[in-house]
Amino acid sequence: MSEEYDVEFVEREDREARFLVRGVTPAFANGIRRAMVADVPTMAIDTVRFIENSSVMFDEQIALRLGLVPLTTPPEGEFVEDDTVTLSIDVEGPDTAYSGDLVSNDELVQPADENVPIIDLKDGQRLEAEADAVIERGKNHAKHQGGVGVGYRHLQRVEVVDDLPEFEEQESQIVRGVIEEDGELVSTTEFDHDLSKRYPGKEVRLEDVPNAFVFHVETDGSFTIEELVTRAADTIEARATELEDAVQL
Amino acid sequence: MMVPVRCFTCGNVVGEHWEEFDERSNEGDEDPEAVLDELGVDRYCCRRMLVSHTDLVDVVSPYQ
Repeated sequence: MSEEYDVEFVEREDREARFLVRGVTPAFANGIRRAMVADVPTMAIDTVRFIENSSVMFDEQIALRLGLVPLTTPPEGEFVEDDTVTLSIDVEGPDTAYSGDLVSNDELVQPADENVPIIDLKDGQRLEAEADAVIERGKNHAKHQGGVGVGYRHLQRVEVVDDLPEFEEQESQIVRGVIEEDGELVSTTEFDHDLSKRYPGKEVRLEDVPNAFVFHVETDGSFTIEELVTRAADTIEARATELEDAVQL
Repeated sequence: MMVPVRCFTCGNVVGEHWEEFDERSNEGDEDPEAVLDELGVDRYCCRRMLVSHTDLVDVVSPYQ
C-alpha cells in the first residue's frame, strides 16, 4: 500500500454512507469489507442475571433480546477485551420494557437505540435484571457486528459509442451504484438506475474503472461511519503486524 | 411473540420501527410500502421482518 489512494464521499449520513476509494486492489477492498463486518470490536450484553422475570418470555429469550440491542462503543483504547460494563433494567407492568430503560454504570456505553421493545409486560408482571456488556468481535457473535449491509461495487465509466439508428426503440439499460462522468460522480438513483433515461438516443457502453470501489456502509449505531472504517483499517494493520512479528527469524 | 430486535439476515436493528409500523399499517390504513420507505427500512430482508410479524404476547399472556 505504498501507492497513493484517495477517498471521496458520495453520500454521508450519521449511520449510512457511500464513498469512493481509488487506488486499492480488489483484495484490499474486500479485506476492508470483511474487517468492518467481523473484526471491529463492539460492546454488547453478554451475561444477564435475572432478579425477577414474570413476563411471558423465558429468561434466555429476554437475554438474547438484550444482547442484540446495539450499545455505543467507547473510543479505541478505553476498553480492552474482558472489561465489562454493567447495565440494569427494572420495569413493572402494565408497561413495555424498552432498550432505553437500560441504565448503564458507564457514560460511554449507552443503548444506541432507545425505542427497541424488549418485552411487553402485563398487569402484575415485572422484569428486573442486571446485565454485563463485553467488547467482542463480529466473528464471535452477530450482536458484536458493528457494520451492517457493508458492500462495494466497482466505479463504472460510461462511454457513448454511437447514436442509435433513428427508428430503433431504445431498450432500458439498468445499472446500480455510482457512475463517473467527466470526473463527476453521479449516483444511479438520479436517473432511476436506467442509462437509457440519462442518454436518450445514444448507444452506450459501461466499463469498470480499475481499482476504484464505491463502498456502501451502514452501522448499527455503535459508532459513526468514520470510526467503523478507520477501526477496520486498524484491525488489518494490527493483524499484519502480528503476522510480521510471527514470521520474523 | 415480540418483534425481533434485529433483521435475521443482515443484522440491522428493525425492532425500534415496529410500533410505528404497526400503528400506521396494521391498525391504520396506510400503505405498508410507503411506511417502510419512510421509516428507512430499505432492504427486503429487513422489510419482511416487519411485514410478516404478528405480536403474540396478548395471545399467550392468559396462560402464564
